[in-house]
Amino acid sequence: MNDKKFTIQKEVMADEVIVYLSGELDLSAATEMREDLEPFVNQTNRALTLNLKDLKYIDSTGIGIIVSILKTRTAAGAAFGVEDIPAKIKRLFDITGITQYLRPSNGSAERKEDIV
Amino acid sequence: MNLQESQFVSVRVPAEAEFVDIVRLTLYGIASKWGFSYEEIEDMKVAVAEACNNAVLHAYEGMEKGFVEVKFEMNDGGIRITVKDEGSSFDYAHKEAKAESLHNKDLSEINAGGLGIFMMQALMDDVEVHTNAGTEVILTKFLQRNEELA
Repeated sequence: MNDKKFTIQKEVMADEVIVYLSGELDLSAATEMREDLEPFVNQTNRALTLNLKDLKYIDSTGIGIIVSILKTRTAAGAAFGVEDIPAKIKRLFDITGITQYLRPSNGSAERKEDIV
Repeated sequence: MNLQESQFVSVRVPAEAEFVDIVRLTLYGIASKWGFSYEEIEDMKVAVAEACNNAVLHAYEGMEKGFVEVKFEMNDGGIRITVKDEGSSFDYAHKEAKAESLHNKDLSEINAGGLGIFMMQALMDDVEVHTNAGTEVILTKFLQRNEELA
């Protein structure tokens, strides 16, 4: 079996979940991503962070999912961050205008301990 | 080597989401061969995929899934990529009027609906749409010549 084009990995901590997206987030991966993340998007007591370090490609479908998560989290007053955005992905975020709404994560207390 | 006027490559895939990456890979191969930069190829990849997404999502609504044909032609000035389906014509004029970015908007009023068409326009030098039998989207990117290599 070949490597999957798109994978989602999660790191769940007490007060934050970090979702690592890697590969190509396009129309064919959209349903999987929406379904996989839905429970975490709706968990408002935990901060949600998307880490895009290994994301190689995104199209308007993927950007649409991020917009939809952003709207849900903002409406619920829940923390949402996007971090480690690669330059070519950032360029598309800038062109479409989504950049102004994205903030990096504040990071969980557990992450801060890791750094120290 | 001089490229002939008639030189083109075409790829025909089922109008399904999992085949759009085949079109991106083909574009990557052809555009590299024809001298486009990494950044230009990345831009074209997104634009061509957006045109394919529209065909996958809208061309064959309520009918049997057909195909998307993507033709890559190189001429003196640049590359011309035609994305064509044989479905019911997508209401492009209507969508195009709504195609806009999310700049200067409040979060509550943003909608990712028109982003695909907006991105095609932003990432290519020219976008032309014909809707006769099916929809045909023609994307053009000019080749920036590096004089030192000429």
